[in-house]
Amino acid sequence: MQLAVNIVVLASIYALISCGYVLIYRVSRVLSLAHGELMMLGAYGLYATASLFSGHPLLAIGVSAALALAVGGLVYALLMRRMTGEAVLAAVLATIALGIFLRGAMALVWSAQEQHPLELLGLSNPAVAVGPTARISLVALTLVVVTAAVYVGLFAFLRYTVWGIRMRAAGQNPLLAAQRGIGLHGIYALAWGLATFTGGLAGMLIACDSALDQTMLIIGLKAFPAALVGGLDSLAGAILGALIVAAAEVLLINYVDPLLSDVVPFFVLLAMLVVRPWGLFGTKEELDRV
Amino acid sequence: MSQPRSSGYFRTSYAGDIVLVDTRAQWAGLAVLVAGLAVMPFAASPFLLDLANQVLLASIGAVALMLLTGYAGQISLGHAGLLAAGAFVTGILFKETNAPFWVTLPASAAVGAMLGMAFGLPSLRLRGLYLAVSTLALHFIVIYAGGEYETRRGYSTGVVIDPPRIGDWVLADARTWYFVLLAAAAATVLFSLNLLRSRTGRAWRAIHGREAVAEAMGISVHRAKLSAFVVSSTITSIAGCLFAYYRGFVSAEAFSLFLTIQYVAMVIIGGMGSILGAVLGTVFVVLFPYAIEGTMRSVGLAERLSSIVFAVNYTAFGLVMILFLVFEPQGLVGIWRRVQNWFLLWPFKQKPLRGAK
Amino acid sequence: MIRTTKMMLVAAAMALPAAPAAAQDAYVVGLSGALTGPNANVYAPVIDGLKLYADQVNGRGGVNGKPIRLLIQDNQGEPSKAAADVKRFLSQDNVLAVINVSLSSTYAPMVVETRRARVPLFYAGAVCPKEVYPPADELQFCSTAFAPGFDSQMAFRIIRELAKEPVRIGFAAMAIPIARAEMDYAEGLAKSLGMTPVEKQITPPPTPDYTPFATKLKDANPNWVFSWSPWLSQVKTFEALRRIGWAGRYLTIAHLQAEDELARLKDGELYVFGANSLFQDALPVHREIRDAAQKAGLNTPVPQLAEGWIAGMVLEQALRNAGWPATPEKLVASMNNLKVDLKGLRGGPIEWTKTNHFRGTQSYRVYRWDPAKQAIVRVKDWTSFEVK
Repeated sequence: MQLAVNIVVLASIYALISCGYVLIYRVSRVLSLAHGELMMLGAYGLYATASLFSGHPLLAIGVSAALALAVGGLVYALLMRRMTGEAVLAAVLATIALGIFLRGAMALVWSAQEQHPLELLGLSNPAVAVGPTARISLVALTLVVVTAAVYVGLFAFLRYTVWGIRMRAAGQNPLLAAQRGIGLHGIYALAWGLATFTGGLAGMLIACDSALDQTMLIIGLKAFPAALVGGLDSLAGAILGALIVAAAEVLLINYVDPLLSDVVPFFVLLAMLVVRPWGLFGTKEELDRV
Repeated sequence: MSQPRSSGYFRTSYAGDIVLVDTRAQWAGLAVLVAGLAVMPFAASPFLLDLANQVLLASIGAVALMLLTGYAGQISLGHAGLLAAGAFVTGILFKETNAPFWVTLPASAAVGAMLGMAFGLPSLRLRGLYLAVSTLALHFIVIYAGGEYETRRGYSTGVVIDPPRIGDWVLADARTWYFVLLAAAAATVLFSLNLLRSRTGRAWRAIHGREAVAEAMGISVHRAKLSAFVVSSTITSIAGCLFAYYRGFVSAEAFSLFLTIQYVAMVIIGGMGSILGAVLGTVFVVLFPYAIEGTMRSVGLAERLSSIVFAVNYTAFGLVMILFLVFEPQGLVGIWRRVQNWFLLWPFKQKPLRGAK
Repeated sequence: MIRTTKMMLVAAAMALPAAPAAAQDAYVVGLSGALTGPNANVYAPVIDGLKLYADQVNGRGGVNGKPIRLLIQDNQGEPSKAAADVKRFLSQDNVLAVINVSLSSTYAPMVVETRRARVPLFYAGAVCPKEVYPPADELQFCSTAFAPGFDSQMAFRIIRELAKEPVRIGFAAMAIPIARAEMDYAEGLAKSLGMTPVEKQITPPPTPDYTPFATKLKDANPNWVFSWSPWLSQVKTFEALRRIGWAGRYLTIAHLQAEDELARLKDGELYVFGANSLFQDALPVHREIRDAAQKAGLNTPVPQLAEGWIAGMVLEQALRNAGWPATPEKLVASMNNLKVDLKGLRGGPIEWTKTNHFRGTQSYRVYRWDPAKQAIVRVKDWTSFEVK
């Protein structure tokens, strides 16, 4: 039972991070390898607002989430906007370079010291019982709930709201969408903003559950196979991919060798690429896009 | 094949077209260069000599990556894994069988070739992003294997390797290493230039341009892709072997994703599709952290801010990469050619036509 | 194409300003440490402490009238950078000694280079390798508080004294080779003492969630868990275990952050043991460190500066005994016959001889948080092991 709880928590972490990858890819066909760093920026944002508004945890969380949204839009406006139309590799490298830049900038501003934003917020993280034998920490439970809410929200947004439909259109065929009068730059900025927002949420929650330190970047990278396994342009696929990768990791730790947990996501990824490169729910034509 | 210049260098035969060194002026320049390089280790300080060694060593890997990504157009994010493979083969052979370097070097090359096949097989089905991702996954797996070897065999602090020796003579001195590395780098560059003007190189350029058209022209796309991967990986593995001997030890932590990104940066910043670009990019990326440090020192910040040099390095490196990607997609080679054309065309300060390289 | 390539290279090489030569009117010592990078929060405070002490010494007129010049390079815990740093110290700066404050993966390259140049290598904040135990490698010295072998022996002495029922012991460590080796050793020790080792969990460093590993540990139902690793891994495993409801006793080695973390975790069954005394003992030397840190305006939490301060004391004494002008050989000779009084920062002095570059005796204290008193209490006073 505890195993199932562990899998669900880990899958939620991966899913929340993956929806960022999927959003950006689906809308603008760019793979953002700076997502891990943006996630960490979100967590540091919480640390900053928690120090500023100590005593008002909700305000701190709200401001930090809004900041994440703004930062995403800014990243698009300042950098990715110039990369539209360039080769795929150039755009991906631009995100890698952005990631490196952010990593350095964060170390410059906040130093590499490990931080504990949860204490600054004045909240605690007790263990909650789930059934007779399993326990889960409160923040982890919040994370699961938040992930579910984010996905439901995103599904509803993409299906029922005007902007969501525009985003889907831009993702399917940018040229037609532009000719239809949809402002592509606005759509892309919105996608980046939403992706950074969800990534920032993930970063904040992880920082509250354990701690804010450099390992967060590697978590961001490990979540990437989850997005790919499900299909880089499918949100439903991201959930499924996260579950598969998380299950593989936890079960292998428990029954085979704990040290494999580092490489398991990449083995799963490789297996997927060999069998079905476009993922479980991705669109097949992605294969031929260069 | 030399680039066509803005002023007239007229070719009159095929052989004359693909020759490596064209005019008398170029031969003279080459002679000056060779003389300069030969004299360098005796005139430079030990610090500069070490820097030069680092640049030469890195350039081998960069040229290999340029062949794969710049010419054949196959994106590979697994470069550090290939370097690690070469280094670990050397380390393992040395520790387990005490093999001398004339065994480990070919062995590294062979393992590199095999891994090249492995890294290259996905390229037959995948393209672009997916190919990059598959190479990334393979990189992690190679590093994991190396780390496991280190732990299982008890080399907790890395595998220490003795410097290569022939009989009594030991290759340990920086100056000797300079000449060895210079020879290796020159050999790599010559080999690559020759390969590029041969059938294989032209096949690579064809599949980089348009795969369907290349297939229609009769080029076996699969063979070209695989050969690109295999050649590039072999050279990279050899670089890894040299790296192991130069550093004197092998450890899995030295081959991180950031190392791959640095090599990719060398290729990008140097300018895709040009061996000169690979070398220029290498010089830039290797010297960059030292330049940053030098700047910080001259501004008087070094002592106080020694704890943030790393962060400044990262920030500046990321920034420079972004600037090159956005503003100078042709890299340092593009800048170099513009400068060259300015001198060639002087006093006719004509702007080259749009579209001309 | 080739000529332009190589011409650029030559031009670049000649255009670079020659790096400044070291001013030899000082004791020049090179330090290659993990100022930044994944584990920097462990090593950066040591470097801060050492630098602080060196500045204090220089403010008092230096050693034998000459200042100590610490050349600090950041190797980010990467072996290749460490190798480059050492090469530069040796070829360009002519250092008297090289100090390593970084991960164990950086040891091998630094040993290779310093051995070649016959310059002493001083481990000042990183775990002591077995090469400094008798019979010691001639050029490697260590002043760090924690060390393999003795730590496990002390751990089991503590468990034997405190355990009230048969011990079922679990082990947790980070997947770095030196920690894994120590866990294997500890497991063997446990068996020889009649305890039941039930589970050994090795966690890879970049783990987002320690819960799966903790689950496996908890399922084996230990009543004691011993962890020997970088602090991050130790404390996260502990927190994960508590989150899933394990109520046993956790014993772990006290790293720099232990004093602050005990207060943060507030758990009565978490025992830490270490060779450094706590700042709450408020000895004169603790006040000295606090004042110096305040005057220098350091951000580092003061309790984390002790290790670096100790290294500074050792370095000062070694340089003083080496006299002026000093050479690496004289420094090694001085270090082979060194006794430094640490004024209460540790349980005893640091004594180095020709065959023992660790210390004569290794002493530990044991602490835990007392929920009733809301303070850290000492469970066991200085317990010593002779180093033979």
